[in-house]
Amino acid sequence: MSKIEIKKLVKRYGEHQALHGIDISIPQGEFCVLVGPSGCGKSTTLRMVAGLETISGGDVVIGDRVVNGLKAKDRGIAMVFQNYALYPAKTVYNNMAFSLQLSKMPKPEIAKRIADVAEILELTPLLDRKPGALSGGQRQRVAMGRAIVRDPEVFLFDEPLSNLDAKLRGQMRAEIKRLHQRLKNTIIYVTHDQVEAMTLADKIVIMKDGRIEQQGTPDEVFHDPDTLFVAGFMGSPPMNLIECFATDKGIKLPSVEIACDMPSAVRPGDKLVFGIRSDDIRPAEDGFEGVSISANVNLIEQLGTENLVHFSLGPDEMIGKTGGRTRITPNQEVSFTLQMQHAYFFDPETGRRLR
Amino acid sequence: MSRVINGLKENGTPYFFLLPCIVILGALLSVPLYKVVEYSLYDNVIVERNPTFVGLQNYSNLLTDSAFWSASVNTLIFTLGSVIGHIIVGTGLALLVNAEIHPRAQTVFRSLLILPWIFTAVVVALNWQLLLNPFGVINYGLTEIGLIDTPIDWLGDPAFAMWALLLISTWRGYPFIMVSFLSGLQSIPKELYEAAEIDGAGFFAKFWHVTVPQLKPVIYGVALLDLIWTFQLFPLVWLTTGGGPGRSTEVLSTMTFRQGFVDFEFSQAATTAVSILIISAAFTILYLRNEKQKI
Repeated sequence: MSKIEIKKLVKRYGEHQALHGIDISIPQGEFCVLVGPSGCGKSTTLRMVAGLETISGGDVVIGDRVVNGLKAKDRGIAMVFQNYALYPAKTVYNNMAFSLQLSKMPKPEIAKRIADVAEILELTPLLDRKPGALSGGQRQRVAMGRAIVRDPEVFLFDEPLSNLDAKLRGQMRAEIKRLHQRLKNTIIYVTHDQVEAMTLADKIVIMKDGRIEQQGTPDEVFHDPDTLFVAGFMGSPPMNLIECFATDKGIKLPSVEIACDMPSAVRPGDKLVFGIRSDDIRPAEDGFEGVSISANVNLIEQLGTENLVHFSLGPDEMIGKTGGRTRITPNQEVSFTLQMQHAYFFDPETGRRLR
Repeated sequence: MSRVINGLKENGTPYFFLLPCIVILGALLSVPLYKVVEYSLYDNVIVERNPTFVGLQNYSNLLTDSAFWSASVNTLIFTLGSVIGHIIVGTGLALLVNAEIHPRAQTVFRSLLILPWIFTAVVVALNWQLLLNPFGVINYGLTEIGLIDTPIDWLGDPAFAMWALLLISTWRGYPFIMVSFLSGLQSIPKELYEAAEIDGAGFFAKFWHVTVPQLKPVIYGVALLDLIWTFQLFPLVWLTTGGGPGRSTEVLSTMTFRQGFVDFEFSQAATTAVSILIISAAFTILYLRNEKQKI
């Protein structure tokens, strides 16, 4: 078990630069999730840590060793692939045993290790089957078992749950979390699913276009986003983001003026992006305190325990939230409360948060 | 009757399109096939106006003929040797041209290496005869680098003729295997190699544990097909050694030809041909069964 340091990591494919100096420090035993839209460089970063991609610049340190020049097998890592990459001709047992057999481990010890891991992952009855005869979730567990038997210093997960259906994904997410609590290995986990990132991570690294937008605990990146991109990316439904102008008392949206405290750097007349999560927009009847606005409801999305209320504010559409038993219906004029103490402001040019 | 015609009008179109194929298959395949079997049961067909029916006499002649057995052994050696040669060379080259090199170089090598397949057998045979000639390039090269003292008549010496023939046949036949395996190799998911890499597999372990199992269905089918083709291969053998020197490279196909068109023993030739037919058919059934399993 060891820490991982990624220092000024650069990847170039010919002319194209895919990574522009990535710095991530992962203490021993931490669960680090790289998240971002496709093409942001998260998988490339992971594969460079794994040794499946060459490093164009910077260093990868696992434990106390710089592993840049080491082969994948010598880095003390194990990886779980998106489509599992199980050997189709081998049984579950032999899939898990392969790396141990290659390292010339004595047979009884291999058998013991696999028995232990199969027990943890409930794979014992499946050991004689081939991957083709397993369900998606079972294959996923075999892929994890194959990684665990090697007792690696570091686990790497490359979008491991994206091929599973929603229910199974939820189960496996919990299983991975439980496994981490039990084994306490250092983990780098790549996903494009921000729910997965929020639920699993000790640390979330949000990437975009080969650069890190922000890294921090799930709480930090969700409640204290540094950039417009992070604010829009984390959370479902996404944060409401609306262009507006600063006034001396607050902000001026196309159809309404809202009084609120402004960041000290903002001058009246500045162009801004105003952001507020739907949790902080409630119908007045819910009894929250804040700024009242009146708007026409377009759509109700029922999620059971809560409902999302889509409404128009001038040319912009916003999403608010209310309880599951609301009687608000579409095409109704409703008064909403904006909890402006939870509002965010961003510079539309740089995308940086204005504090 | 009108119902039949109406039925044909409604559903006959596909059969109409099949008609040329059915006619060609019937005329060019079934009739000769039937005739060959019939000839093998008569004595002195074609040369005699009224051949006599002799039953299985020709077959008992064949089975007691030592020439038939030596040709059978030669056929076995030639077929197995060729197929093994095709697979070894074809696999090796498929791996090479599948390697990640400059795309243009890759295209050039792939195209070059398919060339042996597109020449007709006559061109291949004549060229190799020139190359393997006692005064040919190969003998010149081997004497120059000191591997042999005097030129060897590769195709004319009973000790070397079969080896030379296998060399030619391997050269001629490997592209089919190479192309088939190449498409097989390209369908192997990259992640399997990456997983094996992380598991600590080297080149050979990856080949043995990832490539071979993934190619297995292709290997089996292609090898059987190659076996069927090589088993009855005629022009390459006939045009290089002609079955000689003596009978040292005589295979069943050249023996059939010799019996028919050199000795004018058409009944005996038909009998040998039927023996080839039976063995080929057995391989073909195996092949078809394998293909069916794949589906």
